[in-house]
Amino acid sequence: MSEKTNKVNVFQWFMDKWKNSALFSTGLALIVMVILQTIALGFDYPNFGSWFTAWFNNWMNILRNNSSVGIIALGMTFVIISGGIDLAVGSTVVAIGAVVMAMLDANTGGWLGVVGLTGVPAFIAAIIIAILFGTLLGSLNGLLVTAGRIPPFIATLGAMKILRSVTQHFMQSQSPAVPKGFLKIASARIGGQMLLPIVYWLILAVILYFVSKKTVFGRHIYAVGSNEKTTRLSGINVNRVKMGVYALMGAVVSIASVLQISRIGAMDPANAGSGYEMDAIAAVIVGGTSMSGGKGSIVGTVFGMLIIAVMNNLLNLMGVPPFLREAFKGVIIIAAVLLQRKSSEN
Amino acid sequence: MTLEMKGIYKSFGANDVLRDVSFELHAGEICALLGENGAGKSTLMNILGGVHKADQGKILLDGKEVSFQTPADSLNHGIAFIHQELNLINDLAIYENMFIGRELKKKSGLLDAQKMIDRTNEVFKRMDLDLDPRTMVRDLDASYKQIVEIARALLMEASIIIMDEPTTSLTDPEIERVFDMMNTLKKNGVGIVFISHKLKEVMTVCTRFTVLRDGNMVSAGDISETSIDSLARDMVGHDVGTQSLRREHKLGEIVLSGEGLTLEPVFKNVSFEVRAGEVLGITGLLGDGRSELFQSIFGALKGAAGTVRVNGEKVNIRSTTQALKLGIGYVPRNRKENGIIKDMTIEENGSIVTWPRDSRFGFLDSAKIGTEFDKQERELHIKLDSKKFLIGSLSGGNQQKVVLAKWLTANPRVLVFDNPTQGVDVGAKEDIYNIILNLADAGVAIVVLSSEAQEVIRVCDRTLVMFHGEVRGELVGDEMNEQAIMRLATGGEA
Repeated sequence: MSEKTNKVNVFQWFMDKWKNSALFSTGLALIVMVILQTIALGFDYPNFGSWFTAWFNNWMNILRNNSSVGIIALGMTFVIISGGIDLAVGSTVVAIGAVVMAMLDANTGGWLGVVGLTGVPAFIAAIIIAILFGTLLGSLNGLLVTAGRIPPFIATLGAMKILRSVTQHFMQSQSPAVPKGFLKIASARIGGQMLLPIVYWLILAVILYFVSKKTVFGRHIYAVGSNEKTTRLSGINVNRVKMGVYALMGAVVSIASVLQISRIGAMDPANAGSGYEMDAIAAVIVGGTSMSGGKGSIVGTVFGMLIIAVMNNLLNLMGVPPFLREAFKGVIIIAAVLLQRKSSEN
Repeated sequence: MTLEMKGIYKSFGANDVLRDVSFELHAGEICALLGENGAGKSTLMNILGGVHKADQGKILLDGKEVSFQTPADSLNHGIAFIHQELNLINDLAIYENMFIGRELKKKSGLLDAQKMIDRTNEVFKRMDLDLDPRTMVRDLDASYKQIVEIARALLMEASIIIMDEPTTSLTDPEIERVFDMMNTLKKNGVGIVFISHKLKEVMTVCTRFTVLRDGNMVSAGDISETSIDSLARDMVGHDVGTQSLRREHKLGEIVLSGEGLTLEPVFKNVSFEVRAGEVLGITGLLGDGRSELFQSIFGALKGAAGTVRVNGEKVNIRSTTQALKLGIGYVPRNRKENGIIKDMTIEENGSIVTWPRDSRFGFLDSAKIGTEFDKQERELHIKLDSKKFLIGSLSGGNQQKVVLAKWLTANPRVLVFDNPTQGVDVGAKEDIYNIILNLADAGVAIVVLSSEAQEVIRVCDRTLVMFHGEVRGELVGDEMNEQAIMRLATGGEA
């Protein structure tokens, strides 16, 4: 190796990385996207300062608009690594959202108002209850998958239908209003920017990254997804790991739901959160996590989410009609999986 | 047809896998290709089968030089490769499997089932085989599946058939059946390459042999002029014992016992006990229920009746987690499906059992896990480049040692080994026997489940022999010999 020139070494290192690390190729794809997007944004500004402001604001928009799905995708990464899938996340967003709004309704005082809780204590109580409720809904999915031995696709497809329909039924004659103070959770400005949704996303990503790499639970998720039988025969309670994964998914969704309400200030039970499951799954897949389980990473999912988001932005900047944008998303998903298959075959 | 491979060289990256290897096969011959895992057998045969291309060297068929670019090339020249993992589709009938990818069609474009069945029958007739081509492959036992693969090779007019460890998953009567078939083919002038680790089988069925070691050809010749000992020596490079390894163990209290264990129809009314420091063998033919018996004791299989005691106390083990807590370890059979996790590193595979123990507040204590693994790596002589590589980078024997490592770190009081030397080469086999005996010396109660009588005789203090899910008899110390074991295992009296 030493007698070879430096140039060849860099090339070989590159090819090695490209072949062996899904994260490397995803990261590279992201960089290419960002460069294209920067070019599409143009440089037609009087000075660097104003260009940078425009560029930065554009980025803040991208990140903020994708924070809810981005957060859900983090939980989805665990579910998919464990060998499962969760189609119920979009419906869970509205179900939890409906409960939160019912608790806090500014018009009637809400359930919490009835028991005398208002203002910040009510918000905190609502968030805690939302997370508990989300964990419960996730655990029910987990129960169907483990004790009920129903394939995750089918169990969560059922849950998706049930949650959406029940929520719509109870919300049809209601029009709860979100209290002003609650909006601050997402919309409080820091340095003139609505940074908070991005911060929550980032914090969750960091926490879940450590869970996936450094904890017994995290490593067990990979083991279960890669070879359930060996994992069980290694004295590990596979069902408990799976329950944990779906419960965590529910908790993560509830955070996304709270964020969504406080960012938008309302929730349409028919449409809110719909399609989130597919968007989250797409981000996970583009990020290099294998649908068959056992392989993948949180960082990859963040990259995957950003690739899709930046591409959307790029198409927008280039003036591609909105209806056509989904097609590009489809192309990206398929291309990502094709690329990953190439690299895993080597 | 005469096959000659001359001066074959092959390397993968910096790894020389074959160095100047020559191989010869004549019509009507069964030639054993022997060697430890990693000796280069598969690579040599993959070159012959058109999967890999040799860096140097020639392949001659009847004196004419040929070159194979793809498996199809090789097949067109009459060479068929039957892989260890059979290439049959369970949900199709035999004749459909025989013609898969080259189905016969009528003029209308629809399948001509009758013609395919007739052609299959013709081949079966040549093989003296009485089998209905319309049988679903799912309903065949492992030996008939093997035979269908052979039939398919003949259908494609193969005159050379490469069989890669065809007997690994077969029971003794099934092995007989495959050997009969091989002999019939031999008489019909087909040349067969028989890759195997089982030297006794080689001695019975083969006519010639070639031994590879570390990519070099060590010896070749007629089977009639060699012996098991000399073949084994050539394979490992030094003498290998076939003598008993039994040691005087200091026996302690009864650690694990079962009474009237029953799970119809798999095992019935099984009772046993094993003491600290004892090596108990449980043997029989494949499918005798011993695996299921211990999987159910280990909490991996539900529904068994009867009483299990650990250290004299009655327990009701419902999960593997509980078994682990009680100090029971289980090294499973079929390493690929049950033993390793292919997406994880060597170190992770070798430590997964003890993660909950070696962690603080749910966070893995990677320093402790690392030290524990390094200790096992040294003691078990695991050969590896880096423990951070995926488990698949190791040879079969070393993978098996990693599977042992994960259980040894857990310090179990009783450790069950299910087919511990399956797919492991001769050298690693001896290592594993030593590990087992050292554990017994250290006071661990050991149960060895094995269908290899030789294995049980060499390492166990005593053995139970099972037949159709029942314990047929017990043999202690020198009572254990292959005849006695076989008699009980086939349902005879002691």
